[in-house]
Amino acid sequence: MAIFKAPIDDIKYLSNEFLDKSALQQIEEFSSVTPDLTDAIYEEAAKISETLLFPLNRSGDEQGCTLNNGVVTTPDGFKDAYVQVTEAGWGNLTCAQDFGGQGLPHYIANAVEEMIISSNMSFSIYIGLTIGAYNAIERFGSEQLKKAYLPHMVSGRWSGTMCLTEPQCGTDLGLIRSKAIPQEDGSYRISGSKIFISAGEQDLSENIIHLVLARTPDAPAGIKGISLFLVPKINSHEDGSLAEPNGVICSAIEHKMGIKASATCAMEFENSNGYLIGELNKGMKAMFIMMNSARIHVGIQGLAVAHAAYCGAVDYAKERLQGRALTGAKQPDTPADPLIVHPDVRRMLLTMKAYTEGARALSMWLSFQLDVSYQANDPTVKQNASELVSLLTPVFKAFLTDIGEIVTSTGIQVYGGHGYIRENGMEQYLRDARICQIYEGTNGVQALDLVGRKLTEHMGRNLRHFFHPVSEFLQQHQHDAALAGFILPLAKSFSRLQNATLFIAQKGLSNPDEAGAAASDYLRLFGLVAMAYMWAKIAHNIHYKKGQMPDEFYDGKLITGLFYMQRLLPQTGALLSAIMSGSQTTMSLKENQF
Amino acid sequence: MNIETVAVIGAGVMGSGIAAQVANAGKKVLLLDRVPEGASNKNILAESAIEKLLKVKPAALMHKRNAKKIQPGNLEDNLADLAEADWIIEVIIERLDLKQALYKKIEAVRKPNCIVSSNTSTLPLADLTAGLSAEFNDHFVITHFFNPPRYMRLLEIVEGPTTNPEALDTLIQFCDFALGKGIVKCNDTPGFIANRIGAYWMQTALLEAFRLGLSVEEADAISGRPMGIPKTGVFGLMDLVGIDIMPHVLKSMVHSLPKTDAFHQQAKIPELVTKMIEDGYTGRKGKGGFYRINKAHGTKVKESINLATGEYAGSQKPALASLQGPVVKDLKKLLSFDDKGGQFAWSVLAKTLCYSASLVPEIGDDINAIDRAMKLGYNWTYGPFELIDKIGVDWFIAKLKADNYPIPPLLMTAAEKTFYRYDNQQHQCLSLNGDYQTISREKGVLLLSDIKQNQTPIERNASASLWGIGDGVLCLEFHSKMNAIDPNILQMIATAIKSIPGQCKGLVLYNEADNYSVGANVGLALFAANVAAWPQIEAMVKSGQDTYLALKHAPFPVVGAPSGMALGGGCESLLHCDAIQAHAESYIGLVEVGVGLIPAWGGCKELLTRWTNNPRRAKGPMPAISKAFELISTATVSTSATEAKDYLFLSATDGITMNRERLLFDAKNKVLALAEAYTPPEPVELSLPGATARTALNLAVDSFVKSGKATNYDGVIADQLAIVLSGAETDMAERHTEQDILALERTAFIHLLKKEPTLDRLQHMLESGKPLRN
Repeated sequence: MAIFKAPIDDIKYLSNEFLDKSALQQIEEFSSVTPDLTDAIYEEAAKISETLLFPLNRSGDEQGCTLNNGVVTTPDGFKDAYVQVTEAGWGNLTCAQDFGGQGLPHYIANAVEEMIISSNMSFSIYIGLTIGAYNAIERFGSEQLKKAYLPHMVSGRWSGTMCLTEPQCGTDLGLIRSKAIPQEDGSYRISGSKIFISAGEQDLSENIIHLVLARTPDAPAGIKGISLFLVPKINSHEDGSLAEPNGVICSAIEHKMGIKASATCAMEFENSNGYLIGELNKGMKAMFIMMNSARIHVGIQGLAVAHAAYCGAVDYAKERLQGRALTGAKQPDTPADPLIVHPDVRRMLLTMKAYTEGARALSMWLSFQLDVSYQANDPTVKQNASELVSLLTPVFKAFLTDIGEIVTSTGIQVYGGHGYIRENGMEQYLRDARICQIYEGTNGVQALDLVGRKLTEHMGRNLRHFFHPVSEFLQQHQHDAALAGFILPLAKSFSRLQNATLFIAQKGLSNPDEAGAAASDYLRLFGLVAMAYMWAKIAHNIHYKKGQMPDEFYDGKLITGLFYMQRLLPQTGALLSAIMSGSQTTMSLKENQF
Repeated sequence: MNIETVAVIGAGVMGSGIAAQVANAGKKVLLLDRVPEGASNKNILAESAIEKLLKVKPAALMHKRNAKKIQPGNLEDNLADLAEADWIIEVIIERLDLKQALYKKIEAVRKPNCIVSSNTSTLPLADLTAGLSAEFNDHFVITHFFNPPRYMRLLEIVEGPTTNPEALDTLIQFCDFALGKGIVKCNDTPGFIANRIGAYWMQTALLEAFRLGLSVEEADAISGRPMGIPKTGVFGLMDLVGIDIMPHVLKSMVHSLPKTDAFHQQAKIPELVTKMIEDGYTGRKGKGGFYRINKAHGTKVKESINLATGEYAGSQKPALASLQGPVVKDLKKLLSFDDKGGQFAWSVLAKTLCYSASLVPEIGDDINAIDRAMKLGYNWTYGPFELIDKIGVDWFIAKLKADNYPIPPLLMTAAEKTFYRYDNQQHQCLSLNGDYQTISREKGVLLLSDIKQNQTPIERNASASLWGIGDGVLCLEFHSKMNAIDPNILQMIATAIKSIPGQCKGLVLYNEADNYSVGANVGLALFAANVAAWPQIEAMVKSGQDTYLALKHAPFPVVGAPSGMALGGGCESLLHCDAIQAHAESYIGLVEVGVGLIPAWGGCKELLTRWTNNPRRAKGPMPAISKAFELISTATVSTSATEAKDYLFLSATDGITMNRERLLFDAKNKVLALAEAYTPPEPVELSLPGATARTALNLAVDSFVKSGKATNYDGVIADQLAIVLSGAETDMAERHTEQDILALERTAFIHLLKKEPTLDRLQHMLESGKPLRN
């Protein structure tokens, strides 16, 4: 059985030493957060992940959820864990203090979130969706709605969902059919069918607050006629006590490849009371703004499951004795050497480690940019951070979830046949991680969002917030011999990214298929370069501002970073060639030739 | 006979506008009006009209000094002066008795063969000249100008039954060559051609929008781009011309058209429109019109009137299904689309096209002339018969039948045919008997659009084409978006330079878009700057410099032939030509500072060279540097080709063509003239003073920055310009080659492009089309 250990050292290093928090120094909520406080939070979260949630991970996968007469039962131990986790406040770190939350920065909360997901992805979904719904209501809801719902959601008594998908529409939400009939008191009656609703029904919280996309009878056709509504599972009185059920019924739960302990529900809304969130027909606007944080959340899922797989693989590679090192026995007193002596096993482990740690640095850095975009005093700084986050969100979501797949699959490979059987738990990681490439906008959709919207928006200004700092960083350190192993590969891959960007911008203008055909390769190229930038910044940080961690830690970081630069980053050359070849072959094969 | 002196009687908006255009043509013009009761200055009306001409926007005069060509006078003292005039045009109030009385006076003083015309649009010619001598009658026509006379290209001319053909020809030649007008001969029917169809169309669109419950934005979105009549859309157009004009036009039409005319069915004025006029909402000249700009909350908000309630609200982007991509791009699909947008499009177009067809031969028997009148007079992209061809005659007839419209006979004549065709390289149009007649161009009219119908380009890429225009001359046409200069255009110039020597005589840079070129494609530069691709940007700048320099030193003559805007990189292309033949309406300038940059495709170098070589300049290098600095740092754009000569964007020997349609012909002749014994210009060397000049230039800018007339960042840009024009670190002993100055341009350009305020200016220009002052 694979072991799990939270990446507490790496998180502490990134949070305390790596991250440049100067942009928010003047903000009290940030300056008051000291390393002492954050370390305590991280350690406590590590503990709860390792001791409470991880033990429920495999049993939850085996047992799954069941549906009986509209009632969903989650696996054994989930209810108890839910109470413990929500009572300790692990679900509301970023929620406003006004509603009972803790008002902590995202970079801290996202690190905590990574550990929780890592230990038990299915369980984390019940918590994570409530935060998504909270954010939408907090940002767009009326004062009345906020007062009535948010305190109960923050406490975990009530949970939340997002109801977007319908049988006929997934990616293309313009096709939504669910109806919202206006009532005289200003509320609406919602009717319709929704599918793939995570945590749509469960036995963990006493009420469930659904955020439902629907259209009013006279709404314009397509995406411009969709509104967002709050629909509780059970109506409530003004004091928060529960009243009668609201016609929200779970008609089925899906049988899935992974995240089996997370209930994925088909929901029926039958004349249910609903309350408009934000403006009429502007539901997609609200959704788009929410998508940044939701997509970052999914990216972190990719990272988190990758980490879990890495823990298992490293442990196995050190314990499992098979064959001898190529250069002669390393442990002559045992019948065989551990797997970790083999270069190819090390290649796998280092690939997993370099991707996972690079992804974690990216996550910490981007989460902090999210904080800047919400909190900075200077409106220009705020705007720039917001545009940077908007640019990198699709890259982060798709690249990190692709890494989730690569790393969990490699984890199985390290175990060999023992990875393929269920009892060691390694195959669960791959099954769990696989959904991350699909939901919250498939990775193909992320790539289109990147080339079609984020690249072209404001005549390419979003790009400036990434490309200019990297270019300046390269210029500052181009002759720094100590960093040469990082700077040169970064410079090379960065110029590949520049060329690919110009190529797509030029070609895409005259033929959108060119941009579309290049999109996924381009996103991967972008992700690899962004990660290389993180590794170069880490190298710079360790070289010039070594802090409190043991030398062993820093050495390990630098070697892992060099491995990334030398063994993983060169993919950018192949990707650039693929991109520059254009869309000709992709688009010329006729449908009947497939 | 040549027309050298013109008299305009009536100094109102139209009269003074016509006088201005005559002055623009370089002719002497007498502007007379009556003496107002009790006036101490008897010339007050004409004199104040000339004063207004100097202020009016858009400018009526192509150069301020042209005002001196207009001699003000009055009808009491200066009647005898009319004897000098070769052409007298009457532009007084539309009253028959007053006009007739005036003609009697004119008859007494006019010299023999003097042409007399009226600008009337409502009175029949026969009534005007009743009782006047045969000689007068033989020299009398109606000349109907459109407002403003300088800019509106249509001139409708109505001849009388006995009009002397020679006199008519003299007048037409003058209006064509000297005034630059597109002349359409009309029958003497109410509203002639353009206003008859145009007013009917506007009324129909207005009433149909009300009937079908379309919003102003929706109606304009449908009538604008998809139908192309005109691009502003119908409500936008009414705001532009003045909503209060409509009742007058309608009244006159209703009064003079027979009761059977379909016009009467569309002559109602909606109550809301009447109320708007009463309240002063007469369009852009009033408080606003169907659109208005609301500045109430500190920001400018574009608002539109709700046709049902009369309330204004923020303009909305229309969301009709008929405005979605595949429908709006296909006129036939739009016309049969079943929503109110599709119904509006069909109803307006069906009625307007049927009405147009039913007016042949009443208003004229030449359908090409009718199409031409609508394009020149109302800015339609296509004339009515071209529109019918676009959707197909038979398709149109079938749909009309299905909707129970009566089919005009002309349409039946065209059944199973088209109104226009190309036969054996001849452009032909349908005549009333069903035969085709060839459309012939006037001598001296050469149109690329004609050439393009019959030939394939010698070379073509996405942004430019190379055409043979006869006699061994090639024409390089830009056709990128807004004719922005991009790598494709540069590549085409390079191709021309390679292929012409030994094969052809020379090259014209010319195109028939509204604007010659609005500048370099800065979108690419901005994008590259956003991704910090500095080496690639430097390469782009260098390639532009190399191309333009090669064009300048190519072993064959190159003539630039601009019309409309020639800005930034477009202006730079002209500065590298051997000569320019410009349309009179050419707006030329180096406007790079507006987007936070300086000209870097040789624009600084060439303008500096022109001013340095100017024989009339004062001694020393400073006057030339100061002048180039002033023009570039203030982004000066000439308001006409004439004015461009003041700035040396055009040199004294460059030519100006008044009539747009004659530009290519004139430019081609210029190439042929230059091609005899052509030698390319010698490379230029300049002596520049260096730091002292830079300091002097900056001193001037500093005072503008201090007084708030320029921003701090304007100062930063001006300093970079000063570095280039002063030669940077140098002194007068050193000689600067062209390459030296180009290198300075590149350095300054990249320096500025790395700065955030420049990127903000670029983005703002590309997104809003307006400069940002930061």
